[in-house]
Amino acid sequence: MKNKINLYLIEYAINAILRQKAKSFFIVFVFTLLTFLLTSVFFITSSLKYELDATVDSLPQIIVQKIKAGRHYDIDEDVVDTLLGIEGVEDAVARVWGYYYFANAGVNFSVVGLNEYEKQYKNSFEKIVKKIELEKDDKSFMVVGRGVQKVMNKSYYKEYFNFIKPDGTLKKVNLGGVFDADTELESNDVIVMSKDSAREIFDMDEDKATDVVLKVANPKEVRTIVSKIKSIYPDTRIITSDDLKVSYQNIFDYKSGIFLALFIVSLFTFFIIIYDKSSGLSSEEKREIGILKAIGWRVDDVLKEKFYESFIISFFAYTLGVGLAFVFVYMFQAPLLQNIFVGYSQLKTDFELPFVFDFQTLFLVFFLSVPIYIGATIIPSWKVATLEADEVIR
Amino acid sequence: MIELKNITKIYEINKSDKVIALDDINLRIKEGELVVLKGASGSGKSTILSLIAALSKPTSGEVIVDTKKISKLPDNFASVYRRDNIGFIFQKYNLIPTLSVKENIILPLVPLNPDASDIQNKLDIVTNRFNISHKENAIVRNLSGGEQQRVAIARANINDPKIIIADEPTANLDEKLSLHFIEILRELKVLNKTIVVATHDPLFFGLDFVDREIEVHNGKIVV
Repeated sequence: MKNKINLYLIEYAINAILRQKAKSFFIVFVFTLLTFLLTSVFFITSSLKYELDATVDSLPQIIVQKIKAGRHYDIDEDVVDTLLGIEGVEDAVARVWGYYYFANAGVNFSVVGLNEYEKQYKNSFEKIVKKIELEKDDKSFMVVGRGVQKVMNKSYYKEYFNFIKPDGTLKKVNLGGVFDADTELESNDVIVMSKDSAREIFDMDEDKATDVVLKVANPKEVRTIVSKIKSIYPDTRIITSDDLKVSYQNIFDYKSGIFLALFIVSLFTFFIIIYDKSSGLSSEEKREIGILKAIGWRVDDVLKEKFYESFIISFFAYTLGVGLAFVFVYMFQAPLLQNIFVGYSQLKTDFELPFVFDFQTLFLVFFLSVPIYIGATIIPSWKVATLEADEVIR
Repeated sequence: MIELKNITKIYEINKSDKVIALDDINLRIKEGELVVLKGASGSGKSTILSLIAALSKPTSGEVIVDTKKISKLPDNFASVYRRDNIGFIFQKYNLIPTLSVKENIILPLVPLNPDASDIQNKLDIVTNRFNISHKENAIVRNLSGGEQQRVAIARANINDPKIIIADEPTANLDEKLSLHFIEILRELKVLNKTIVVATHDPLFFGLDFVDREIEVHNGKIVV
């Protein structure tokens, strides 16, 4: 019988919470708000980290761009043959891509041109060209990201889209499918079409490409290959995946800074409550402990009851906060907060936070809140419970 | 049997200000005896009750109940001693006003985690005996003074203690309710409880079922 859970004690604890409705409501409100904020921030950073990791992993090892007067120009496609001749280069692909500004929605799409007969530089593109013919019966087809599809649908483009070329004429491209890529951040605003269609939309010459991406057999040789390319083509800028990782990491660190600021503000507020609680019990609370001791409750009975009381209130608020954060981040896509974290996407299509269930996040928020609150409740109660009952009642 | 041996109790208000509540007193109360401690406010009556109930410790001397030196008990053992042996009826009842009658009465049993049937049996006995069963679910703060006192008496008896202690039990009651309380004391005496009452209410003086009246004055027992 001694081992079973003391439901009477739990019932008493629940009653104690309900007795102080206003105070309990305030604590639950503040606790829930802080848990909600912390968890939301953690959820968003987890999602972004997942996206960025995936993006960084899929980056090309070397990108070669033509530079004139410090500006990026189209590169000759036949450069690819020379680059393939460099020892250590496993593969080289000329890319045709660029940004297309859709004025109706005020967003930029990333248009990528592919040649179905070439080896693709990304697995997801390989899948697309296998599934869908981008040029068929004199018609052009495109595969779009989910974000692009949403934006187009809003403007009633459901089966095709009319791109406005630099000379003002239209280029009609039919919708062939929706992009199903590994990462949302990378593919959401992407439109994939044939290289010829992309060149037409950007008014590029047939023998030109935006840049060339290289795959190197031995990653340790990247630096050597870069210097070889530089000596052959001095008018190029060569970007390695390591350089890109740094720039992505910089963006992420900036976000971590904002996160840290929010985190500190949340913790600061939380500790104000904790300080307020630990600074002492009200005379009513003291008297109640005195009464319980006088009628035969031991110190550990009082502390057990206080434990249940604080655990129920803090765990309820924690669960509520986490639940609300889950709905806010993954169902409503974190309005306001998302803008802070993905601010650079303002000119891009809507970005959807992928669901990343991270137990560590939940444990971290739990251990930063619930045990601290329980401790802050139990310590002053313990101080009073260890006094002589007579002294407390008087 | 309750025995107080050379008890001195000094309350320290601050470092330089001390109050001698009891000054080397000796007292023996036999099992089943009903003793009335009388005296003015501040004479030391309540301090005697507090020491018998192990709610406080004497500055010097010993309190012995049934051969057990309860004045030396560590805090947790003192709680268990109170739970198993003492039913304390406080002057201001010391109930939890926002709980129901039932919840208040069963409070001493809560840490023991007994079966529901056991709690119900004990509850039925005390609520019927002290005529409060019809108010079991009422919230205490909504009760009259007399009803609140009956709840306090029921709570003090829920564990069927050997010793009943009442501190100024009629201080907040009118004469009719005070006489009713005295009748309750008579019933408890019939149940062979050892009863110690501290009061300055003249209604308690000269009662036929009271075994002894002891006067306390300035922390000393007047012989």
